[in-house]
Amino acid sequence: MVQSFPRRSFLGGSAALAALPAGAQAPAVPLSARPLSESRGLVYVLNSRDATVSVLDAVTGAERAKVPTLREPHHLVYTPDRREIVLGDSAGNEFQFLEPATGAVTRRLRISNPYHLLYSPDRTMLAVASLRRDQIDIYDAASFELRHRLAVPDMPSHIAWTPDSRVAFFTLQGNNSLAAVEAATGRLLWKARTGKTPAGIVFDARHGLLVANMGEDNVTVQAPEDGRILRTVRTGAGAHNVFPSPDGLFHYVSNRVANTITALDAPSLAAVRTLRAPGAPDCLDFSADGRQIWFTQRVANRVGVIDIETGALTANIPVGRSPHGILFHALA
Amino acid sequence: MIDWIGDAYLSVKVWLFETLLLPLLYGAGWMHWEEDAFEWLDFALLGAVTVLVAYIICRPLEAALPVERRGADEPSTVGTDVAYTLLNRLGLVPLFAFVALQPLEIAWAALLADAGVIPPTLETAIPALRDWPLLTFALYVVIIDFAEYWRHRFQHRFGWWWALHSVHHAQRQMTFWTDDRNHLIDDLIGGFWFAGVAVLIGVPPGQFPLLLLVMRVAESLSHANVRLDFGSLGGRLVVSPHFHRVHHALDHDEGIGVRAHGCNFAVLLPVWDILFGTARYSGVYPPTGDRSGSERLATGSWWGTQVEGAKRFARVLTGRA
Repeated sequence: MVQSFPRRSFLGGSAALAALPAGAQAPAVPLSARPLSESRGLVYVLNSRDATVSVLDAVTGAERAKVPTLREPHHLVYTPDRREIVLGDSAGNEFQFLEPATGAVTRRLRISNPYHLLYSPDRTMLAVASLRRDQIDIYDAASFELRHRLAVPDMPSHIAWTPDSRVAFFTLQGNNSLAAVEAATGRLLWKARTGKTPAGIVFDARHGLLVANMGEDNVTVQAPEDGRILRTVRTGAGAHNVFPSPDGLFHYVSNRVANTITALDAPSLAAVRTLRAPGAPDCLDFSADGRQIWFTQRVANRVGVIDIETGALTANIPVGRSPHGILFHALA
Repeated sequence: MIDWIGDAYLSVKVWLFETLLLPLLYGAGWMHWEEDAFEWLDFALLGAVTVLVAYIICRPLEAALPVERRGADEPSTVGTDVAYTLLNRLGLVPLFAFVALQPLEIAWAALLADAGVIPPTLETAIPALRDWPLLTFALYVVIIDFAEYWRHRFQHRFGWWWALHSVHHAQRQMTFWTDDRNHLIDDLIGGFWFAGVAVLIGVPPGQFPLLLLVMRVAESLSHANVRLDFGSLGGRLVVSPHFHRVHHALDHDEGIGVRAHGCNFAVLLPVWDILFGTARYSGVYPPTGDRSGSERLATGSWWGTQVEGAKRFARVLTGRA
């Protein structure tokens, strides 16, 4: 594994990946002497202000590689076949594809300002929210040909799909609203009010759309048919994003201002637990065994690790500036 | 040592953001500006460090090797330039420019996307540069400096632009604080100018704040009241206080012809003046200022010089100049 990362000279050298050997960067700061994780894996962290990806060893927390991007990477997802990770570099106007097991760059694609991106469940389409040009795009997932582009008011931020891939939902951060777009036609189906500064959004078949309202302390539950608010669930100040746990039992909400992560019981949406998460928590992912939360501490230039069972913050790992998107890739 | 400074800087930034700025944004309902505010804080903190470093380097030089000393009965006008510097480097002027230009920037980005235009970067034009981030950054510095050379020449060439730029040249007590003395409208035009360059070569990499700091300090030093040049070779590589003082000389302001055909327009790299025949390596350290402007333009407060510059601008636009 380690040998697969080429070295990088001071000026960049000839290595395409600009990677470093294990342990060459600032070490993890585990808060206990035990290994960080029982799950083998690589954790990909997008350092948006450094234009790099930190690739962390999930067991030791050591930085295994630092992969350069062009300008400003924010979000990342697996490609539908899970053979690649694709990250959106918004200011660099580029998708960069990585091999999940090594972090090697497999290809790049020019694309206008991709901020958030999400494949449709049927794997045929890719939705892109462009925060800096007030447009949302739907691409063909295989060819990346633009199918539809729609101008929307003020800061399209995060995306969710219906399970049937018929409708894509976009939070409009600067407009306190949510837009539903018919994927086949690119037609705006409806626009509905949310709380203040909506950011993260997920589709939950039991409840509807869960929208984290960063300008408030809550998640609104909204009807997929017309966007009406069905109920409001209090989490913590600056509710930023929502992440379903791998076992489907909880939704975890990062609260940017409160510096906490709230666990919502998925069937009832009751707030059952509040975890301390310093450093303005942003995106998070779960270890392969589901026992840890790895989250980016946006202003502290670190990644935090929380043991879900105890709720303790078990590590605080230095990464690059303004870490945003994060993905835990399990290794066999 | 560097790690310690970096950690201290980060601690201050996190504390300011989490305890002051973030609650303020949240309370005011401005959380959609949160990411921009974080960037702004970075800009402001780096700006504060830049001012401090410039002061530590330039002030002793000005005290030890001054070109001119203020007369006992001559009031200081440097305070106005201090205000310009703090407003600019602590981020208030850039914040104004950001708020004013952001809607246009969004519309422009959407227009380009609709037209199928994806602004390139130097690395997409020359893929080998991806492996050489410092070299790439240096190339951006050279290209942007080239663009700034021509913007500066146009500031002197066109009467309406000179009316704005004369705010910068009016200062007779030029010091390292004078670098940021610019009219707000001129700053906005500078924003458009930069956006135009960005369409052609993309935005420069942002991961070298220390190099940006060095460049900003060099720009401050070029305005310092100090008898200093960098020798025959160094003075052709980097703009020195002597080189730039010759640009600010009083004898360059008399009439559009003289002004337009002034000299030493370069901001950082004199090579542009050498290439385009505008370099002048003089043996003297001339007095500075602009005789064509009003006294208020030279000695007024921040507000006074802004008003006076706007009036001069309006007079040129309406043909009353």
